[in-house]
Amino acid sequence: MKYAFFPGCVSRGGCPELYPATKLICEKLGIELQEMPAASCTGAGVLQEKNELLGDTLNARTFAMAEALDLPILTICSTCQGVMSQANHRLKNPEYLAKVNEYLAEEGLEYKGNARPKHLLWVLVEDIGVDKIVELITRPLAGMRMAPFYGCYIVRPTDALEFEDNPGRETALEKIIETIGATVVDFAGKTRCCGFPILTINEKNSMAMVGNHTSEAKDLGADAMITPCPLCHLNLDSFQPKAAAQAGRPIELPILHMPQAIGLAMGLSPKEMGLQRHIVSTKPLLTKIGAGV
Amino acid sequence: MDVTLNIRRFDPEAANPEPYWEEFTVSIEDNGTVLDALIKVREDNDGSFSLRCSCRSSICGSCAMRINGHAGLACKTQAATAIIDGKITVEPAGNMPVMKDLVVNFDTFWDKIMEVEPYLKPEGTEPEAEYIASNESMLHLSDVTSCIMCGACFSDCTVLEVDPSFLGPAALAKAYRFTADPRDGNEKGVSKDRLEELTKPSGMWDCTRCMECVQACPKGVAPMDRIMAMRDQAMEAGFTNTNGARHTEAFSESVGHSGWLDELRLVPKSVGMTNVSALIGYAPIAIQALTHGKMPPIIHKKLPDAKNVKKIFDKVEKPLERD
Amino acid sequence: MLEHDVLVIGAGLAGMRAAIAARAGGATTAIISKVHPVRSHSNAAQGGINAALTDRGDEWEDHAYDTVKGSDFLGDQDAIEVMCKAAGQALIDMEHFGVTFNRDDEGRLGTRAFGGQRRARTFFVGDFTGQALLHVMFEQLIKSGVRRYEEWFVSSLIIEEGKVCGVMALEIRTGQVYAIRAKKVIFCTGGFGRVFEPSTNALICTGDGTALAYNAGAELMDMEMVQYHPTTLAGSGVLISEAARGEGAYLLDKDGNRFMEKYAPNMMELASRDVVSRAEQTEINAGNGVDGCVFLDCRHLGEALIMEKLSQIREIGIDLVGHDMIKEPIPIRPGMHYAMGGIRTNVDGETNLEGVYAAGECACVSVHGGNRLGANSLLDTIVFGERSGNHAAETSRDAEFVEFNVEESVRNEEKRLQGFLDRPQNGDRIASVRLAMGESMNRNLAVYRNEEGMKATLAELKEIEKRYETVPVDNKGKLFNTDLVFALELGFMLDCATPIAMSALDRKDSRGAQARTDYPDRDDENWMKHLVIKKGAAGPELSYAPVSITQWTPEERKY
Repeated sequence: MKYAFFPGCVSRGGCPELYPATKLICEKLGIELQEMPAASCTGAGVLQEKNELLGDTLNARTFAMAEALDLPILTICSTCQGVMSQANHRLKNPEYLAKVNEYLAEEGLEYKGNARPKHLLWVLVEDIGVDKIVELITRPLAGMRMAPFYGCYIVRPTDALEFEDNPGRETALEKIIETIGATVVDFAGKTRCCGFPILTINEKNSMAMVGNHTSEAKDLGADAMITPCPLCHLNLDSFQPKAAAQAGRPIELPILHMPQAIGLAMGLSPKEMGLQRHIVSTKPLLTKIGAGV
Repeated sequence: MDVTLNIRRFDPEAANPEPYWEEFTVSIEDNGTVLDALIKVREDNDGSFSLRCSCRSSICGSCAMRINGHAGLACKTQAATAIIDGKITVEPAGNMPVMKDLVVNFDTFWDKIMEVEPYLKPEGTEPEAEYIASNESMLHLSDVTSCIMCGACFSDCTVLEVDPSFLGPAALAKAYRFTADPRDGNEKGVSKDRLEELTKPSGMWDCTRCMECVQACPKGVAPMDRIMAMRDQAMEAGFTNTNGARHTEAFSESVGHSGWLDELRLVPKSVGMTNVSALIGYAPIAIQALTHGKMPPIIHKKLPDAKNVKKIFDKVEKPLERD
Repeated sequence: MLEHDVLVIGAGLAGMRAAIAARAGGATTAIISKVHPVRSHSNAAQGGINAALTDRGDEWEDHAYDTVKGSDFLGDQDAIEVMCKAAGQALIDMEHFGVTFNRDDEGRLGTRAFGGQRRARTFFVGDFTGQALLHVMFEQLIKSGVRRYEEWFVSSLIIEEGKVCGVMALEIRTGQVYAIRAKKVIFCTGGFGRVFEPSTNALICTGDGTALAYNAGAELMDMEMVQYHPTTLAGSGVLISEAARGEGAYLLDKDGNRFMEKYAPNMMELASRDVVSRAEQTEINAGNGVDGCVFLDCRHLGEALIMEKLSQIREIGIDLVGHDMIKEPIPIRPGMHYAMGGIRTNVDGETNLEGVYAAGECACVSVHGGNRLGANSLLDTIVFGERSGNHAAETSRDAEFVEFNVEESVRNEEKRLQGFLDRPQNGDRIASVRLAMGESMNRNLAVYRNEEGMKATLAELKEIEKRYETVPVDNKGKLFNTDLVFALELGFMLDCATPIAMSALDRKDSRGAQARTDYPDRDDENWMKHLVIKKGAAGPELSYAPVSITQWTPEERKY
């Protein structure tokens, strides 16, 4: 299966481990990724607060590029997914779409309205099918307890994310965890906010969110937390030490990107998955699953 | 149809008051709502079960509560579609102390509403007849004036969960209802005083954009979207000396210039390039990132065709006339 | 000691307007409400508020005539003149307060057509005008600094030698009983919809003030005039606004015919509500409905208009009965909606009890007579709320508090309330007693009435009142004891029910909302008068009061 690949900014910046991990597991799964080098940032909700029309135009541009390639879009970031879905939802209005296309005309692009960007999480569960993953598993993460952390933008608002027509999306991450042989740790924070958007605005609150969710999962016995959003990963992993210091307790919960967890189960090495880059060491988890370092 | 409700109850007058779960099975119409079922519990099974409810048609805002973990109005939720694994889980609204069963203490909610001075404050002379205002401006406000103060957004707000000093989605949306009203503020409809107050800590910039309030709101108010619009109003009115405003400007500049986000420079630009103490505060993390290979590239390359992105920025961001 | 010059009971539109006015008039003012003010049932008014604005060529006399005719000539014309004259200013006041009214192309206040009005003079906010007005009124209340007793339940009115002293109130949160002294008390407690089942009314509309005033010796008037709204949902009885018809919706029978042609060939679906309800009921009784309903069809109005002006009622249709009015007709039927009758007042809100006022739905001035026109109720609340507040403040200046034994009153009330909690658990449940009353009233005091039916209901009410004596209260605690509140409300509802039925039985003509199959004609010679009912030593006492006629001679009413 071939997709127009939209990696987003952070997987090429602050979370450079995500990009190669994604490519490796896609290769194994037969997912071909066609890059769109000129596709811009989605705006991440930040640009939208300054000018929603501008954000929608940039995303429509990306959708138009994918349409020109005649390929569906694949994202690897919850935030990109959410922002794109929300833009697409607004672009369903034909008058609005026409207005946005006016701005795209000069570059020779036109968005016809047919894009349905999908996160790798949904692609796996809906398009590829989890059975395909099972076939490729050589190192099932049996006995591992994993806490799913979705990331706000891939679970709300449910109308833009088309949950009603695709009810499996609500529990897709839990399904992936089970598919790779691990046990789901259910906890209250799984669909709550990691605090990344307010990191530079109200660090105390941001750290409190990180601290609460990781502590909760850890106290319920999680060996790792798994997330489909690199922005969440940045906060939950890179800032976990700070959050622990603020909370006045140790946490030490390894945070995995979703493709990394799948990759490990497929027998790929921790080095290939870029685990050495993480701030919170993944060694305890790797030791448990016998993956060395 | 029979429905089983699993209700989180609390009796403040019990010997050792602790919340507890209690299940009830009642019979309602096939198209009955969760509220119909709750009222049945109260009427037929246990009159001591307390909840607030009144209009049964999503307009009084009394019956906001958490149904299957998410805030909403009981009278707007079809019971049949709310059954998960054979039952409907009902809990009091979050972020407010529980007084009894599903009745929560709304004092902090109302305190925050009062804080934003929730009444029209027009400057200048009042006309004899009505203020002239476009229907467009009034229709725009009708989304936010649809707010029935039910507290569902407040219940599920992730910032209030960690920081009770945050003004919260309802109060901020209410504030927007005035900042966006052409009759509020000066002759141009700009409510400078309000915007200035709201850019302070615990105000509009503290929202973490998690969309719980958008999801929870039963009336389509979308509080988060109002907060975002208010941020833009504040920046336009010149209130740019906040990390939030700097963050948004830096993000925007970065994407407009290169087509994607320059993460490395975003942090210092947000806190202020001359904010030495804050910058020093980031040093440990920066070092960690460096040693772990997680530092974003120092040389931030433009994307191919970045000039087309810039052109779009210029066209769409044409200076707008404020009226 | 809790004491205020003016105490307003009920914080809906009328109550809050009265409180704001009283405060502005210099009185120390408080407002007491058993729910938070923004939960009041004024919220549920959907369609709009009427006013004749002279700067667009409308005349208050036209509005007044439409109202007089709509009332089936039972409305007091002097009061109607007062209301219609004041309407323009009341509307502008609300706009200045901040209401986000719909506008026309020039940015001026816009109108829609409404029932019984010959020209469009209904000003609106989408289809949630009541909610819009209520929330703005609350904003102004906050600004005014009036003391608010929120979630306090008035359980008794204290009268000494025919003069008001104050009220006994239960602070619901704590269960504490307080006496609140006042020189003037203004009842703004709304209607009594829950006396009927079903009803469009909220669960809180239990006629508290009507009953309290009645029990204290106030006169009630026109209690038989109970409005059945033409478009209510089957089952819940929830309201679907007249605004739909104002925007052009049709009423259809099961074969898709616009049956209003037979009953009101000129105004069609926008005839007065009693005419439309009777038309529907006649069609339903003749077998032209489906499952006891006829249909409201909005499809031809188009999605854009529905989303702009009727989106709230569209949501209600989807949420409660699973029908989307953009795509399909909605099944509706007449349902109990509004009390034209209530506590008898003059145009300043004064009742026959010294120091006691009433305004809004609980009052009967009477501006609505035998039938209320849509969008006149919101106007009524604001105009008479303001007038009552002004008058109460003014007269409180030279008034004294009437002395009474506060401690003894509190102790007695505590004992009385404790008596409810101490009842044995084996009586009929509160809800079942209320349902029995509601179903009986809806069976025999609905759109079409007759002697046999009404006598049957009166007899049933006596029996139901006995059952009430022993309804148990499950909750024996103090904190937030809603069960106790329900028991007290049921008592108030029963106090309203008998006067309604008695008045309806006594009036031997059909006029406005009262349609008797045994007296089907309007009899101006004998019945052009108000029915007044007062609590006497041996039970309710009926008397009559003349209708004020100023400009408009009563005539046959045709739409």
